[in-house]
Amino acid sequence: MLTRRSAFKAAAGLAAVSAAGVGPALAADKVVKVGINLSFTGADATSATRISDGAILAFEEANKNHEVPGITFDLEKYDDGTATAGQYDPAQAATNARKMVSDPGVLAAIGPQMSGAGKAMAPILSAGDLGTITPSSTNPDITDPKFAAQYRPNGKAIYFRTVATDAYQGPNMANYMANTLKVKSVYVLDDSGAYGVGIADAFQKQAEKDGIKVLGRDRLDPKAADYSAVLTKIKSLNPQAIYYGGVDQAGVKLAKQAYDILPNVIKAGGDGIQSADFLSGAGFPAVEGWYATVAAPHVIGDPKIADFSKRFVARFGIQPEDYSVTCYTAAQVIIEAVKDLMAHKKDVTRDAVRQAIQDVNMKNSLLGPIEFDANGDIKNKIISVFQIRKNPDKPLDSPDDQYSYIGVAPMA
Amino acid sequence: MNALAAALTRPFDRLLPARRRQLALAVLVACILLFPVVHNNDADIDSMANAAAYATLALGLNIVVGFAGLLDLGYAAFFAIGAYYYGVFTSFQVMPLWNEYWAPLATLGLVEKINQGGPDLVHFTLSFWLALPTAAMLTAAFGVLFGAPTLRLRGDYLAIVTLGFGEIVPIVARNVDSVTNGAAGLNGIQAPHLFGWSFGVSATPYYYVGMALVAFLIFVSIRLRDSRIGRAWMAIREDEIAASAMGVNLVRLKLLAFAMGAAFAGFTGVFYVSKLQTATPEMFGFPVSAMILVMVVLGGMGSVWGVVLGAAVLQLLQSWFLPDLTSWTHALGELIGSEWLQHVDFVEAIELFFGIILVVMMLFRREGLIPAARRTPALSFEAQHVAGVQRGGFVGLDRIGRWEKGSGNALEIRGVTVRFGGLTALNRVDLAVPAGGVVAVIGPNGSGKSTLFNAITGLVAAEEGSIRFEGADIHGLLPHEILARGVARTFQNIRLFPNLTVLENVLIGQHARLSTGPIGAVLRLPRSRAEERAAAMWAMDIIGLFGSRLTPRAQQTVSGLSYANRRRVEVARALASRPRVLLLDEPTAGMNPAETLELAEQIKSLHALGLAILLIEHKLDVVTRLADTVVVLDHGEKIAEGRPDEVRRNEEVLRAYLGRAARETVNV
Amino acid sequence: MTTADLFLQQAINGLSLGAMYALLALGFTLVYGILELINFSHFNVFMVGSFIAMWVLQQFGLSGQNTILYGLPLVGVLAVAFVATMLATGGIGVGIERFLLRPLRNVKGPAAMITTIGVSYILFNIILLTEGADSMNFPNPLPPVQFAVGGAVLRLREILIWVIALLLMLALTFFVKRTKLGKAMRATAQDPEAARMMGVEVDRVIMTAFFLGSALAGASGLIFGLYYNVISFIIGFNAGLRAFTAAVLGGIGNVPGAMLGGVLIGLTEALGSQLVGAAWVDVIIFGILVLVLVFRPAGLLGQPAPNKS
Repeated sequence: MLTRRSAFKAAAGLAAVSAAGVGPALAADKVVKVGINLSFTGADATSATRISDGAILAFEEANKNHEVPGITFDLEKYDDGTATAGQYDPAQAATNARKMVSDPGVLAAIGPQMSGAGKAMAPILSAGDLGTITPSSTNPDITDPKFAAQYRPNGKAIYFRTVATDAYQGPNMANYMANTLKVKSVYVLDDSGAYGVGIADAFQKQAEKDGIKVLGRDRLDPKAADYSAVLTKIKSLNPQAIYYGGVDQAGVKLAKQAYDILPNVIKAGGDGIQSADFLSGAGFPAVEGWYATVAAPHVIGDPKIADFSKRFVARFGIQPEDYSVTCYTAAQVIIEAVKDLMAHKKDVTRDAVRQAIQDVNMKNSLLGPIEFDANGDIKNKIISVFQIRKNPDKPLDSPDDQYSYIGVAPMA
Repeated sequence: MNALAAALTRPFDRLLPARRRQLALAVLVACILLFPVVHNNDADIDSMANAAAYATLALGLNIVVGFAGLLDLGYAAFFAIGAYYYGVFTSFQVMPLWNEYWAPLATLGLVEKINQGGPDLVHFTLSFWLALPTAAMLTAAFGVLFGAPTLRLRGDYLAIVTLGFGEIVPIVARNVDSVTNGAAGLNGIQAPHLFGWSFGVSATPYYYVGMALVAFLIFVSIRLRDSRIGRAWMAIREDEIAASAMGVNLVRLKLLAFAMGAAFAGFTGVFYVSKLQTATPEMFGFPVSAMILVMVVLGGMGSVWGVVLGAAVLQLLQSWFLPDLTSWTHALGELIGSEWLQHVDFVEAIELFFGIILVVMMLFRREGLIPAARRTPALSFEAQHVAGVQRGGFVGLDRIGRWEKGSGNALEIRGVTVRFGGLTALNRVDLAVPAGGVVAVIGPNGSGKSTLFNAITGLVAAEEGSIRFEGADIHGLLPHEILARGVARTFQNIRLFPNLTVLENVLIGQHARLSTGPIGAVLRLPRSRAEERAAAMWAMDIIGLFGSRLTPRAQQTVSGLSYANRRRVEVARALASRPRVLLLDEPTAGMNPAETLELAEQIKSLHALGLAILLIEHKLDVVTRLADTVVVLDHGEKIAEGRPDEVRRNEEVLRAYLGRAARETVNV
Repeated sequence: MTTADLFLQQAINGLSLGAMYALLALGFTLVYGILELINFSHFNVFMVGSFIAMWVLQQFGLSGQNTILYGLPLVGVLAVAFVATMLATGGIGVGIERFLLRPLRNVKGPAAMITTIGVSYILFNIILLTEGADSMNFPNPLPPVQFAVGGAVLRLREILIWVIALLLMLALTFFVKRTKLGKAMRATAQDPEAARMMGVEVDRVIMTAFFLGSALAGASGLIFGLYYNVISFIIGFNAGLRAFTAAVLGGIGNVPGAMLGGVLIGLTEALGSQLVGAAWVDVIIFGILVLVLVFRPAGLLGQPAPNKS
């Protein structure tokens, strides 16, 4: 899951709930409400909109084309971001989960965007038997059977993902560094956030297993402006590469300052730095050459989904990002699940939908075959590697144009 | 007079307004109890439960900031400690290896043995109900720990140090991964269990527990506020130095305030996190401390119901008003075709509202929505003159009774020297006040008279010399200890507690003589009630000494009183502590001749009680009337001593006052 | 890189940080010296200043670090940027003082400080709402020149920071010691009542102090942008904490103290990151703050306040 984080946080109250209209409902249709919970307030808001647009498009099309006869889908937006936190807020996420669970019309959910929210929501959703599919939450704990008592007290899988987890994102990058880039020594940094620490830890462990010497590990304060002291320390150790687990807040400053202090070092990060904000905040030449990963197959730019991109741009006026596709796919899974229930003349209840999602077997989604394992994780785990290579003919802050797709990161 | 005094001294028997208040309270309680039944929306019930948490935090901060006047900007640290305490002892984070020593704890239900593949582990399963009081005790201890360094700091420095601690706690939580799981936070925190039934995920049981907690803490706050402890806190808030001089142990009471405030936050931490089942360091940073401060400022610093209202308003603002305002603005934007209006989000701007609330409240309504200070209306013209003014002497002095007159010297000061940097304010001054005697200290301005008082009462350190009270050395004792021994004083520029009533000011004088502590205050045991009753009657008797001047005004805040009345209250306050030596610093300053005469007579009659008096005065007629002995100071040195008429004619004295010898005349 | 070089580099890092904190601390200490008021909004005025500076530089068509100027155009652009930013933030400071703090000047207790907390939040959120939470790429016309000092690197902007900081500090010291208004400020700092009786217009003096302090904050904001090339709505908090500790450490209300404190805190940060780890630097700095306030509130260069009974 993409746990983007910015600076300060606190606990706060509720947020607006607004229904996103996804087209008119036919009078006789049963309305299936889907709650979509993303971080529409704070540092991750721009991404949230782009991600949710994927789901909006999917449901609108389903309604327009009467994809599931007798069913109209209604998407209800929930915001787990608060101003006091400046990003997602676990308390708000928990409240939203409560809201969704207490609304009998909500039969499935999409989200959350961030793992910190996911941890707060999962137990509540489990108690309410409301399945959710996350397009970007990558922290592995939530679906780890070891923690089943905490995150799914009800026992059944409740947290489904159309992305892989950081249990793969970090380590696969380590594999890539070892196998392809032939890196011998690395220094690891994190931004002290939940996502960043998790992915950096996973990377570090795998790097050691791969025989890369980990010269040290330190933490960047996203609120601090100056990392020259840490970078100088790293310089003195002379690593071949640095790996940064974290999001843009610290990433942007790191990129800028590392460009000055560590010019010839290989630099890599996770999906936290795969964003327009990284490009525009740090700018060229500082970001040139940075590697980033995404916990999903790379499909944007793939001719197979050109049609999707066209429809997306036509509807929203902006380019989709990789997680727009995972969200679109998540919505499609739900549509598929409901279609399946209708086809077998079963009652469309919350538990039935959850089970149908669990059993889904979609062969040709935009991400390829979609199937979930017993824990709710996607079976087809792909980590994509990108490198930033300046494309002067295209806008310099467009991720699609500036992040060049390199390939799939190798599994262990 | 008696009936009035009696009525005023039984604060628990209110008249008709109380009935009205009870009815309102009953309606409120009924609404709260029925809310989840009537409005069965789980999310809204959850918000109300959150509001309850905020209310308890606001109540706790209210004790520190509102009652005691200690501006704590790092209050969320205690919230964090309570939360992490419960989290660590119920989550799956800290799991030592199992061995037989854990078995007895398992039978008590505090731990359980689990296995996650590998060796057997200990999983802590601390009961929510047990965690509440134990967390409170733990956070109270931290309150003392964090409060201790701030004891001698001024208001703004205290705020900064508390801010520092408030930031250190989340950073430590983030860095000590092994215990707190760092930034990822603790998860799988256990929900409360009641007789084997788990609260689970529905918000309703949490709502009731939260409301019960709020009710309990409101009760505790009110009990504390209306007790000796609350009075002492408010005295500290109003004027710390005067409070100390009147017997309030500053260290103990300030630490008590920190501890109690922290305990409230500890309760809340356990409650909040048991509902959320997650705890992350970011939940406890400065923005949270600031938000609680906003609630307290909005509601009214020191006002118990006010801060609860402040918490409720803020919660409603976030969860209902701002989202609705946003929707209306969007609709308006669509109507008039404004792009910007359609995208504005007031919910995101909540912190902006916090800032605006702080600024607006400070500029326009500092006392908050529900002010803490009760405003009794000023006396009407008739009421002022109802009993007629009784002149001369004290009224009802006989009721005060005598107190023991010692023998020998009540106060003995030998060779006392006080230096401030390069300035020697007092230079080897000797002075003795015999038991039951009256000594006056006179001298030109700056001669060190008030410094002498400060040295005697411990406000200023005497570098050399000895100060003995009834034979015992009191040099080096703290002011409240000196008061407890029997030395009370008034101040040259009147140091009353401006926002407290006359009665409350005088009752502070009794602080050292009473013994009700916080527990007694909350429980209101019969012994405490009797003590309060007796103290209030005693205070009314003292107030009554001034005839009708003060008694009709007993429930008014002193800031509204005339200058002369305020002087009288100060004397009354000092008397309330049953001193054996009374130090009066220019008691008649600013009074007209009639008032001066009246007060002088009253002081003289205190003599009859067996009280020794040390008096600083400028008015020589008062000195002559009252004093047995007069001591003259000039530039920190004693230049004369003797009977009043002797001293009047003393050359040195005249030169000191007039700047020249008596015989020289000025050619006009 | 040898150990000596490493420490030299860290020292250079620390001194540059120190200059920034010193400048920020100066403005803060100026206000405190006169009003004995902890002005929480100072550090967000700094942050707003950095945004204003960014807008000004963007008017020259600069964006990012790709347009580099030399010689006279460079000096001209920077001069305009400094003047414009300092005037703007100075104005903000005066506005805050005149309308929000002056009515509270005679109110005892924490009312004024709480108001500055409120103002701080307001400034912070206005920028958050209008500019968003992202880090902004700061337009910077400085050429990326650097010099080698042994095995360490000294960049042009580090020299620039020091030159400007020293110039501003000298100007401030000259103003405070030599000019009439400066003398009036010192008098007011010591005893407002007496100063008023001597004919000093205390209101005007206070306003001047706020103007100067806020202008310095604005200058610090511009320098911050030029140095880091990145600004965002959050920069006030972190830099503010460091600068505040610097002011307290050096002796709050004391101009040379702010300099000294800034340098010490900057070095602490750099060496702390090197030796202990960046994760703990905040705790170290807060720890210093608490220790100084508890054990030596007057700071290193300040005079202990006399006991006021």
